[in-house]
Amino acid sequence: MSDTNSPDSVPQKQPIRKMTRRHLLQYGGALAAVTFVGPVLSACGGDQGRRGQGGTPTTGPAAAPTNLTTAGGVTPTAAEAMGGATPPEGGAATTVAATPGTTATGQSYNARTDVAGTITFWHFWGSPVRRTAIRRVIAGFEQTYPNIKVNEQFVPFGDIWTKNIAAVAAGRGMPDVIVEDRPQLRARAENNIDISLGELAQRDGITGDAFWPFTWQEATVDGVPYGLPYETDIRVLYYNKAAFRDAGLDPNKPPKDWNDLEAYSNKLDQRSGNKLERIGFFPTIGNIGLDQWGWMNGGQWQTEDFEPTINAKENIETLAWMKKWTDRYGKKNIDAFTATFGQGPEDPFMSGKVAMKVDIQGYTSFLNFYNPKFTTKGGEELSGEEGYGVAAIPPAPGHKPASLSGGFALSIPRGSKNQEAAWEFIKYLTFVGQASWARDTYGMPTIEKLARTDPELKAQPNWEFFVDAMSYGRPAVYNPAYPSMLEVLGPAVDAVMLGRQTPEQALNEAQRKAEAEIRRQRR
Amino acid sequence: MARLAASRPSRAEKKPFLTPRRREALTGYIFALPFIFGFLALTLGPMIFSLYASFTEYNIVNPPEWIGLGNYDFILRYDEEFRISLKNTIYYVILKTPLVISISLVLAMLMHIDLPGQRYFRTIYYLPTVLTGVAAIFLWVWVLNPEGLLNRGLGLLGISGPNWFFDPAWSKPGLIVMGMWYIGSPILIFLAGLNGIPTQLYESAEIDGAGPLRKFWNITIPMLSPTIFFLVVTNIIGAFQVFNSAYVVSTTAHASAGAPAQSLLFYEVYLYIRAFQHLEMGFASALAWILFAIVMVVTAIQLWLAKRWVYYES
Repeated sequence: MSDTNSPDSVPQKQPIRKMTRRHLLQYGGALAAVTFVGPVLSACGGDQGRRGQGGTPTTGPAAAPTNLTTAGGVTPTAAEAMGGATPPEGGAATTVAATPGTTATGQSYNARTDVAGTITFWHFWGSPVRRTAIRRVIAGFEQTYPNIKVNEQFVPFGDIWTKNIAAVAAGRGMPDVIVEDRPQLRARAENNIDISLGELAQRDGITGDAFWPFTWQEATVDGVPYGLPYETDIRVLYYNKAAFRDAGLDPNKPPKDWNDLEAYSNKLDQRSGNKLERIGFFPTIGNIGLDQWGWMNGGQWQTEDFEPTINAKENIETLAWMKKWTDRYGKKNIDAFTATFGQGPEDPFMSGKVAMKVDIQGYTSFLNFYNPKFTTKGGEELSGEEGYGVAAIPPAPGHKPASLSGGFALSIPRGSKNQEAAWEFIKYLTFVGQASWARDTYGMPTIEKLARTDPELKAQPNWEFFVDAMSYGRPAVYNPAYPSMLEVLGPAVDAVMLGRQTPEQALNEAQRKAEAEIRRQRR
Repeated sequence: MARLAASRPSRAEKKPFLTPRRREALTGYIFALPFIFGFLALTLGPMIFSLYASFTEYNIVNPPEWIGLGNYDFILRYDEEFRISLKNTIYYVILKTPLVISISLVLAMLMHIDLPGQRYFRTIYYLPTVLTGVAAIFLWVWVLNPEGLLNRGLGLLGISGPNWFFDPAWSKPGLIVMGMWYIGSPILIFLAGLNGIPTQLYESAEIDGAGPLRKFWNITIPMLSPTIFFLVVTNIIGAFQVFNSAYVVSTTAHASAGAPAQSLLFYEVYLYIRAFQHLEMGFASALAWILFAIVMVVTAIQLWLAKRWVYYES
């Protein structure tokens, strides 16, 4: 799949016999066509032998007889369970409290600490904060389950699900537990990639009551779970208090609506010539896009019957509003400005280039880790909550805030050989591990009570604000016939920002694309 | 390889089986054997399967489900992404191929001049070809950053450089600029071709008073035409299959394959999105076969046109 030139076909430089040379060069083209295109065609075909795998009925854990007793046996105190005390004998089930050392959160689950085996766990948490956090959780698990060894593997975000699907299709090489993108989990379940956890959940009395309702809904198909929700999130506005002070704005008065965003930016923007030095705000910088802005203008992307409503009036207005921001700074300037953004402390917010930026609540852990100094004109360095504030994402005037709640789920890919151990791992991470995970990463726990009551989480001054923001959080748009439907928005936004299409044209086209795709899938 | 085939057959062997012609053919087949084996054993099977898959809905996990011409019908009638990607790809092919051919020919001719230290130049120009890969592409994303090395250099000359990969009008040219780094192979092939031109042709032309331009148009180009033809064919096929650089650039600069504004949505990038992001292997197979048909037609046209301009010394 490369467009570089293949050096293997160098023609002979010596004079060669007429016939041969002519043929070599004439048919070289035809031959090259087959040589180059062949692998592309074959790469899409895959191996015919694999087809048999598809037809194999799922060997869910339900098929395997379980000799484990049900809950109600030994119930050690939380501290014992966590301290790696002698595991209960004779295949007894154990109740492990969710938050060791405190009963405040009150979560518990039925643990089978005698299950043995080695499991492979795939995740994409490679940043220093998250890698450390997941390792801590795993260390706790291995103490509670001395007979289970966890082989933790980092797989980049862009590869993890494709790699898993390839492994499931091949019938080997899949992990025992994988972190799934929760909004896409139903599509994975329907494609037969992750196994149903319904019987295991039923056996262990897991009903989903403990979770934020939408997280459980995303993890289930017709009420049957295909993963346990692990971590959710909520998007909020982060703003730079030092920049606010310099601009003569009250650092305790974040913008309330789109009008404020504009008025504040008028004061916050800094240019040198045409070049942007700092901007107040830009609608596509940060963890947000047209889909969420549309919500905040009262827009919807599909009906309850999953008919797309992409070109609804509210959405067109929203895109027109976004275009106004592009015109404000100039497309070329904003592109050049965006290209200077880096990662970590060089990101647009921490580097002070963008004064107001939308990100998830977990961004707090990065602000803690890199501890950027927000410097005022007077040279005063503000750090921590002195330096930045959080607020609800400003909606269109007269509308209510809305925010996307995404997150993940822990699932067992079809073909995993250690489903019992994998299931114990999933339960532990969800009901116990999420406490330490959330404290380290400020990931919003999927267990509502834990999120609301954990004292260590509440020690972070903005935590209660984050939990309150969950009240207007919305799950990602999911269309069963077109799981990644909102991908049609990207090109539409680009075309409008470039001035190639009006918002109406672009969204009409996006609507047509989505409709065509859905028609194709339903046929 | 052809040189060995041409080695003189002994006249003593007059068996009909080993006529010089057959002997040559046999030698040819023996040399082609590794390819034929690889093609039959590794490529042909999956190719046939992908042809079958193109008539199915197939997500690699579940068995393919026959849908007849459904994929082809959708692609050819409704699929806007298909049209955009094909348009982008043709633009790229048309812009890139002549540039690669002409620039590599000029460089090859410069390297053909007998100068001390010429071997080092040849090595230097070939070196980037060895350094292909994602790491080198990352480097180029950095060089072509709006505030990157290239634009700073242009700035010194008083030119305000474009935003390259951030501007849909400049992203494809940016990719082509980046591709010029990898012209070591065509240079090498041209050098081989130049070495094959008998020097007496130039000598007699000089005696007749031909200048350098005249020699270039009337000797070098005709004598190189088979080589040019070969490079045109292979480069067009290669350009139709542009993937790595476009994919890495768009996902690095924009986190979305094909961005900005679908200007880097080339045919194979689109195929990749369908195959590996949407898991629509049947659909992607249909795309692959359509590309195969397009490339075959383009190549056939070139083979036909070649009769008019390619000169085989005879």
